[in-house]
Amino acid sequence: MIKNLQSDPEELPEEIEERPDALLEEVPEEEGPPDAELVLKAQQGDVQAFDVLVDRYHGRIYGLTYNMCSNREDAEDLTQEVFVKAFSALPRFKGKSSFYTWLYRIAVNKTINYRKKRNRKRTLSLDSFDQEIKSDEAYHDLTSKGSPLRNISLSELQIKLNEALQSLSEKHRTVVVMHDMQGIPHEEIAKVVGASVGTVRSRLFYARRQMQSELAEFVK
Amino acid sequence: MMGSKDNLDTTVEQQTELLLKQLMHLKQYEKPETARMTRNKQNIMRMVRQANGSKRKSLGDLLEINMPWLFAEPKYGVALLFVAFVGLQYAGINARHESSTGTGIYAPSTSLVAVNSISTATNSISYPKFPDNVALFPQGNRSSDIKFVGRIEK
Repeated sequence: MIKNLQSDPEELPEEIEERPDALLEEVPEEEGPPDAELVLKAQQGDVQAFDVLVDRYHGRIYGLTYNMCSNREDAEDLTQEVFVKAFSALPRFKGKSSFYTWLYRIAVNKTINYRKKRNRKRTLSLDSFDQEIKSDEAYHDLTSKGSPLRNISLSELQIKLNEALQSLSEKHRTVVVMHDMQGIPHEEIAKVVGASVGTVRSRLFYARRQMQSELAEFVK
Repeated sequence: MMGSKDNLDTTVEQQTELLLKQLMHLKQYEKPETARMTRNKQNIMRMVRQANGSKRKSLGDLLEINMPWLFAEPKYGVALLFVAFVGLQYAGINARHESSTGTGIYAPSTSLVAVNSISTATNSISYPKFPDNVALFPQGNRSSDIKFVGRIEK
């Protein structure tokens, strides 16, 4: 089983297969007109409607691509490519799945293909921490006097975490990023990656174990 | 001895698990600069507008956009195609029937008379009378040259 999990993902098609799902229909609760209405308008050539969709999902798609690559320049390029691809493929979108799921699927496929093409050129380029971090409980725990990590700077830990993330296979990283960083439930991840919920859970378990072993040197 | 080693491993494992959770949690504070994101959105929309301007919709796309029911309910699409086929067939039968009554170009006789009268009227060109002193076909048997018999004035 582990052997299967470690194998490289197959080349993903650029064409996005639409899979029906009901779960994601009610996920994004946004202000303004519903996605379906905006998608219909955008399909009829209304660029303004697509602009609203870009505004709505830009942050999440950037978050996904950024955490998948740990490189903000690549993430920006990928986010751009994802939305342009989505716009050009919009006439073929039948609404069997929600726009949100469909867009995520494009983003995951694009990111994996992009990284495979640029396999040797992988450098970290990280966004800086927001000032709000100082009021977070986890931050206090890590930097308090009693913590074994108090002598390690946060940026050092940040780099180590991103390196650990990049050491995972594409499939495992996708699941970790979507679940642990973006808070997407297992069922929805399963719809996006086209696997069963059980597979998603096992990938998550394996990925966490691998990352823990990467971070163990800080604890010992 | 073995028991204490196991305990140590468990503690390390628990600590790394906690550390991972905390770091994952803190990762949400890694935020991009607002200006960069705004620029990125603008770039996306610029590219989308360019794509939209240069995009020529295929017949299939146009049909799909303007007649979505045709694709959503294929049975209606098939029914429409059948009706269109029958209609074309009917039109074809009518055309064949009319063409089988005779061949050639037909025009009413009144219009033909009008055309003839116009042509005769326009074709009657009056030429000036040929002068008497110029003999076009001389009566001599030597040559067919035109012989000038007039007087040259100096």
